[in-house]
Amino acid sequence: MKFLSLIFKNVFRKKTRTILTIGSIILPLLIICIMGSFLKALDAPDPAETRGMFRIVTRHKVGFTNDLPISYVERIRQLDGALAVTTFDWFGGTYIDNSARNFFARFAVEPETFLQVFDDAKVTRGSIDDWMSDRAGALVGEDLMKKYGWRMGDQIVLVGDIYPVALQLTIRTVYGVSYGGSDGLFFNRKYLEEALPSFEGTVGTIWTKCRDAEAANRLSDEIDRIFENSPYPTITESEKAFQMGFVSMLGNVKLLITSLGIIIVLVIILIAANTMALSARERVREIAVLRTLGFTRRMILVLILGESLTLALIGGFLGLGGFILGLKPFKASLMDTPISGFASAIMLFPEVLLVGLGVTVLVGLLSGLGPAIRASQRPITEGLRHMG
Amino acid sequence: MGIPVKYNIRNLIVRKITTGLTVLGIALVVAVFLCVMSLAEGLARVFKSSGSVRNIIVLRQNSQSEVQSGVTRDQVPLIMTLPGIERDTDGSPLASPELVVGLNLEKIEGGTSNVTLRGISEKGSLLRPQFRLIEGRMFSPGLSEVIVSSGISKRFKNCGLGDIIRFGSYLWNVVGIFDAGGTAPDSEIWTEVDGALNDFKRLAYSSVLLRTTDSVARDQIIKALAIDPRLALEGKSERAYYEEQTSTAEPIKFLGFFIGVIMAIGASFGAMNTMYATVSARTQEIATLRVLGFSRPAILASFIVEALCLALLGGLLGCLLGILAVNLALSGITGTTNFTTFSEVVFAFRLTPKLLLMGIVFSIFTGLIGGILPASQAAFTKITLALRQVG
Repeated sequence: MKFLSLIFKNVFRKKTRTILTIGSIILPLLIICIMGSFLKALDAPDPAETRGMFRIVTRHKVGFTNDLPISYVERIRQLDGALAVTTFDWFGGTYIDNSARNFFARFAVEPETFLQVFDDAKVTRGSIDDWMSDRAGALVGEDLMKKYGWRMGDQIVLVGDIYPVALQLTIRTVYGVSYGGSDGLFFNRKYLEEALPSFEGTVGTIWTKCRDAEAANRLSDEIDRIFENSPYPTITESEKAFQMGFVSMLGNVKLLITSLGIIIVLVIILIAANTMALSARERVREIAVLRTLGFTRRMILVLILGESLTLALIGGFLGLGGFILGLKPFKASLMDTPISGFASAIMLFPEVLLVGLGVTVLVGLLSGLGPAIRASQRPITEGLRHMG
Repeated sequence: MGIPVKYNIRNLIVRKITTGLTVLGIALVVAVFLCVMSLAEGLARVFKSSGSVRNIIVLRQNSQSEVQSGVTRDQVPLIMTLPGIERDTDGSPLASPELVVGLNLEKIEGGTSNVTLRGISEKGSLLRPQFRLIEGRMFSPGLSEVIVSSGISKRFKNCGLGDIIRFGSYLWNVVGIFDAGGTAPDSEIWTEVDGALNDFKRLAYSSVLLRTTDSVARDQIIKALAIDPRLALEGKSERAYYEEQTSTAEPIKFLGFFIGVIMAIGASFGAMNTMYATVSARTQEIATLRVLGFSRPAILASFIVEALCLALLGGLLGCLLGILAVNLALSGITGTTNFTTFSEVVFAFRLTPKLLLMGIVFSIFTGLIGGILPASQAAFTKITLALRQVG
């Protein structure tokens, strides 16, 4: 690598140009990283592998606006292979206001069985008994506590929309999870039943913790078969499939983001290729002189490719470094924008950094290829005769 | 003395490759911006064009959408007898109590999504002037029949004319296909409301839609509903109701601007590089121009014009690419989830003249940022030094 110093000299020969080129690599690279992280976040949570194992979800076959009778819970509980069964009802409603900033998951649940099914959640403050002994008590995630600066015993008022009631809840217990975010609020469904008798007897989704993978598969079919011809047919699927269902509702977002990413890569290649062409053209005569000094065609090729690669790598490392350092403040600054919901899903994924590095190398090689070949193939005599 | 613009434009032609690469870079940035924005525009368009200003939608207080709302059966006659409701030719009020249910249907391309099944009353279609049956016939009450919007029938399985939508013991025959001229019902399936209440064992409607005689009557009804504590309902103009849902398009719009601005800065760096290179390669020429009597401001202006031409070429090409992409590759209908109702909304990409203009403004901004520094370098070239410079 005796050319290294020569390559570096060439890279920094025109400082303004180098800085501009590096800048035009960093900016799109940042976008690619952000979009890549978002795509990854859509795919990331695989509950079957990372969190509680073998959970299945039962809901009304028709859709989310239809409830199931609560008697189904007992029925499922008696099936062989069902270790624990609990209920989930989306409460929704409003906390403070309807802005995206104040949106988080709020569910009416059954405290007795909740943590038996979600056994990957650990109580970090208070205890399950504290929660169960106060009918208006709430179980709140660590992340959510931190976001609002809540303390144990704080009161929270939720104004219902689906359910025309306002609930006053007291934080009794806090939970944390080892993987992913803990940003949910859960309260006793009995409290909602008292406030709104019409809620009694119905349930939105039923979650079952199964003994093992075999039981999970078998129970999914068995549950749906039992209720197939009832007035309330069900559909039961794994937790992962249930959550992927929400992702597929977004439609072609993934395709859109991927194609945007590809176009952005193209744009960086164009800009970088232009710079390389400019700097190679200015040096036609110089390269001819190098050739007369005994540099082979291949050496010239390596020299120019090395230059574009170095340029791209500097931009790449700065861009990726900036992304790693800037992610937290960047996420925070997006909290008040329309994309806050997406921004909070973004995390630092090693795969995304690898893709970023791959893009950098690709840009470095492709942008230098044309100018490098042209410069190395040009006859010496023509090069010497060349007028800048 | 004028500006040597002709000289600058000729230079763009002489340096074909550099000009071409820079133009292409800017063009791609503009095209990306246009595609994302036309997606947001198409989505927002559905909500902006939906709903009439004379119609009122009655919901339960605090409900953000029909999905969360409920209007009980005994409230309906109280609403129907409010003064100021337009009458149909037979003298009955133009009002339709409706039920909204989310159907979890399978998409043709794979995956599932929630589609709004709307139970409408007799007057329901009269209240939506854009509604047009394009195939088959209207559903008959009490027969579990539905009509499907053409957008939904193209995107979801079992939603074509003559198909059966089936969920366990539930089944509905598709007897007609309708079109609602790009408004909200284009993402819906319609059936008869009493049959739907019965099928889903519901005790309450979701909403009541009614037509008022004029805007004074409209405001009076909205006020009457708001101050009546017995009802706990609220009325909104139908137009306002849908406009609130435009927020669904906001994230995409934000994304479009975010990517657009950052990429435009990146592209302006590229343009700056090009301009610096062309200025430094022409130092002697610039000095000659100065000797010939062109003033510094004239040189400055001429190089800014050159950068603007470069960028404008990119902007125009970008608009062309954008138009081609939207009309050829993205001409079909697409869908996403409306986060207010958690249901599918079907829409088409929409490239408006306003967006194209924004694309051009973007490119001009790119050219200006990219041109100003190199142009001032050119203008302040020292004549003697420059003329002495070799190659």
